[in-house]
Amino acid sequence: MADPLWYKRAVFYEVLIRGFYDSNGDGTGDIRGITEKLDYLQWLGVDCIWLLPIYESPLRDGGYDISDFLKILPEFGDLGDFVNLVDAAHERGIRIVADLVMNHTSDQHPWFQASRSDPEGFYGDWYVWRNDDTEYSDARIIFVDTEKSNWTYDPVRGQYYWHRFFSHQPDLNYENPAVQDAMIEVLRFWLDLGIDGFRLDAVPYLYEAEGSNGENLPPTHDYLKRVRKEVDEKYEARVLLAEANQWPSDVVEYFGKGDECHMAFHFPLMPRIFMAARREQRYPISEILAQTPAIPDNCQWGIFLRNHDELTLEMVTDEERDYMYTEYAKDPRMKANIGIRRRLAPLLDNSRDLLELFTTLLLSLPGSPVLYYGDEIGMGDNIYLGDRDGVRTPMQWTGDRNGGFSRCDPARLYLPVLLDPVYGHQAVNVEAEMRNSTSLLWWTKRMIEVRKQYPVFGMGRFEELDASNPSVFAFLRSDEHQTVLCVNNLSRFPQPVELDLRRFEGSTPVEVVGRVHFPRVGELPYLLTMAGHGSYWFELIREET
Amino acid sequence: MSIEAALADWLPRQRWYADKGRALPSVKAELVATLQPGSPRLDLYVVHAHDDRYQVPLSFRAEADEQLAHAMVGEADGEFVYDAPQDPAVNGAWLRLMAAGESVAGVVFTGPDVVPDLPARPLSAEQSNTSLIYGDTYFLKLYRRLTDSPNPDLEVARALGEIGSAATVPALGWAEGAGSTLALMQPFVRNATDGWALALTSVRDLYAERDLHADEVGGDFAPESHRLGHLTATLHADLARALPARLSTAEESVGTAQMLRDRLAAGVAAVPELAPYAAAVEAAYTDVADCGEVPIQRIHGDFHLGQCMRTGEGWVVLDFEGEPARPLPERTALMSPLRDVAGMLRSFDYAARHLLADHPGRDQLIYRAVEWADRNRDAFCDGYASFAGVDPRESATLLRAFELDKAVYEVRYEASHRPTWLSIPLSGIERLVS
Repeated sequence: MADPLWYKRAVFYEVLIRGFYDSNGDGTGDIRGITEKLDYLQWLGVDCIWLLPIYESPLRDGGYDISDFLKILPEFGDLGDFVNLVDAAHERGIRIVADLVMNHTSDQHPWFQASRSDPEGFYGDWYVWRNDDTEYSDARIIFVDTEKSNWTYDPVRGQYYWHRFFSHQPDLNYENPAVQDAMIEVLRFWLDLGIDGFRLDAVPYLYEAEGSNGENLPPTHDYLKRVRKEVDEKYEARVLLAEANQWPSDVVEYFGKGDECHMAFHFPLMPRIFMAARREQRYPISEILAQTPAIPDNCQWGIFLRNHDELTLEMVTDEERDYMYTEYAKDPRMKANIGIRRRLAPLLDNSRDLLELFTTLLLSLPGSPVLYYGDEIGMGDNIYLGDRDGVRTPMQWTGDRNGGFSRCDPARLYLPVLLDPVYGHQAVNVEAEMRNSTSLLWWTKRMIEVRKQYPVFGMGRFEELDASNPSVFAFLRSDEHQTVLCVNNLSRFPQPVELDLRRFEGSTPVEVVGRVHFPRVGELPYLLTMAGHGSYWFELIREET
Repeated sequence: MSIEAALADWLPRQRWYADKGRALPSVKAELVATLQPGSPRLDLYVVHAHDDRYQVPLSFRAEADEQLAHAMVGEADGEFVYDAPQDPAVNGAWLRLMAAGESVAGVVFTGPDVVPDLPARPLSAEQSNTSLIYGDTYFLKLYRRLTDSPNPDLEVARALGEIGSAATVPALGWAEGAGSTLALMQPFVRNATDGWALALTSVRDLYAERDLHADEVGGDFAPESHRLGHLTATLHADLARALPARLSTAEESVGTAQMLRDRLAAGVAAVPELAPYAAAVEAAYTDVADCGEVPIQRIHGDFHLGQCMRTGEGWVVLDFEGEPARPLPERTALMSPLRDVAGMLRSFDYAARHLLADHPGRDQLIYRAVEWADRNRDAFCDGYASFAGVDPRESATLLRAFELDKAVYEVRYEASHRPTWLSIPLSGIERLVS
């Protein structure tokens, strides 16, 4: 398990603990539940499980409001359960990373309680306190719907405290060396328990400065570099994944020179894939990839199609937001639910062809793919649940009561299991799909397997190819040893395409799933005929003659 | 067999040969320069055929080459003659000569910043010229049918390059000789698709939906049209900055109206189907004479979706030769930029309708086609206005007249080339005059 670059080859799987499997019948998924389902994740080919917040919390913000960094949320289990999960996962070659919020705590956290009640005490300076609410006025308010200001008055201390998110989530004061050290202690605590890394939530906001927007400031990067150094010195093969919902050219700052975060999410890619398929042309994807800067060799993008959040457009440039609104928010199918608050299958009208095309792109574009639980079986959502709960319903394991998720009374479930005739648990569940070898689940498993046979998908260069047909998106993934050609038809109609493959003259394209040999590349443009929404992966094999 | 006899046989079969309707009993071939001595040898000929002059670079080989059979011109005086742009042994010459800044027998090559020694590949599917791509770096256009220097294509590319215009790609190198511009080297635009092909993906999507409106289908093209309109306005602003621009005189407006009427009369004489609309079109032209002073400048001159390339970075406009059928002074004359706008508006109409010519669901889809064209025409004008500050639709008289003029030209073209498409420009005229 000492491969230091494992995260560049890994397939990640995002798990909502609450929604995955309920081991004790209380209606809420738990850590033991994940342990019990590890065999399934191993069978699917998952290399790393990403857990949403596991910590003690008043749960006013989905657990991102942490009231004790060193305790597990009781309804999820305890530290013993967590250690068991890590050990059992490691036995299967699966790694575990978890969300961690460094920027702020819950206002219920003892640090904050001590800080507000004893300004002169040890914790007095752990949060950002001021006598008035005028400082840092250039920092935007992120949750404009609920918050009026980034400052909130605390009647106990008689001062204002700084918060970039909800008013019940005060920002920690990273100017204070004690805070810097304390957060590193938190990381060490979990690393010592065997965790393989963290997704660092909301990292751009650690520091603030007058006259700036309070995002991506130099001291924030300096601190993250220190975190990286501490982690590298004492632990092997761990990963830091930055959640910075920013433009790729800004996000690359979080890689530093390969001495900051190992990974960062590529946020704009997913909507562009969606847009490209709707437009039946490749330019939305081409454009965003052309604008994505190169990253250090030991770094990797995390890419995803859907996750537990809605797609937010607030952290992109004005120009890009305009583009997104004109290009895609006008689409009536999106407008029905502001932003993207849907699962993959309903977004794609449950089209198997599109699900396969999108997943093929996810598994072949530059970056490590992150699957969202349930998308591998084509689970649906419940848009009537409001906010983001619609995509957080219980995992559908079987056609039995509660979808096999829990043995509790159905009324006790944290959210109702899906019941509708298309996506309900009787139609869509793991058990049924495992029994049917042509199911989406089996298809996904096989494609993950194929991806792993070609390390270039994780490690190789990416190069878009000139394709004669704007509906076809073709690119190469390659290193010194291997070249894989990926060709994707973004149109629902069959399309021909001519590719300029002259530099591979004499090579034979071999389709990687069926190992079918295609005609050898000559000096003329290479002609392929694509089925609607079809895609090919070819290994280009140079035959010595 | 002489070289002239071989060329008389070969020339009419080339795509870029303009006068296909007429028999070509003989040609006169004039050797301008030997661009690459030795074997194979690259000789540059100018061939006179009827009233036109063509640039014909030929390679001469002592032995026949099987691989080049498709590019064979013939045998002449014991040598095997090939179309030089397709011969890999000689087609590197243009890049080399430009990089070296050489002059060969009065042919002057310029290209101070180009880097030689990249493999060339001829581009297929070309209409009026022949192009070579060097590596993935340079795009060389060899003009086939020659006009007197300066060719507006080179002139405009250089002028826009000098002011750093982002609306097109700059001229990196060129060759002039025999009184004409012979070649233009520009950066190769990678991963590009022309606007026509891109618009058709949208139209196809619309037709497949049937019951959805143009603004509801995923393939909506309007945002691209908007960007294209914006780019066109920047292009016009750059052209006005880099090259002459002024207000026309009132007399010039009268002259424009007369020219439009003359072209209409010629169109009606050639295509009887145009006659029922003649009076209405002519009426639309009358106000043009009263337009007085209007801004005129150098324009693209042959502006349509196919001249615009979408890349990963956005749109660029290519090809400033103007409408090849028109005489040179007309192509370089100062004109209203609304002509380009009109050309693009007509292009949207074509894109929307051309798939319907033999479509089984034609009648039902025409309504959708009109909707698509209107939506994209509006988006284009909105985009244009967003940069220019003035909306081209406010100049309704001129814009409509230029659209009609373009449609009359299209009627003539379709009548002689694609009679089944004649209904496209005719219905456009019908809508414009109704």
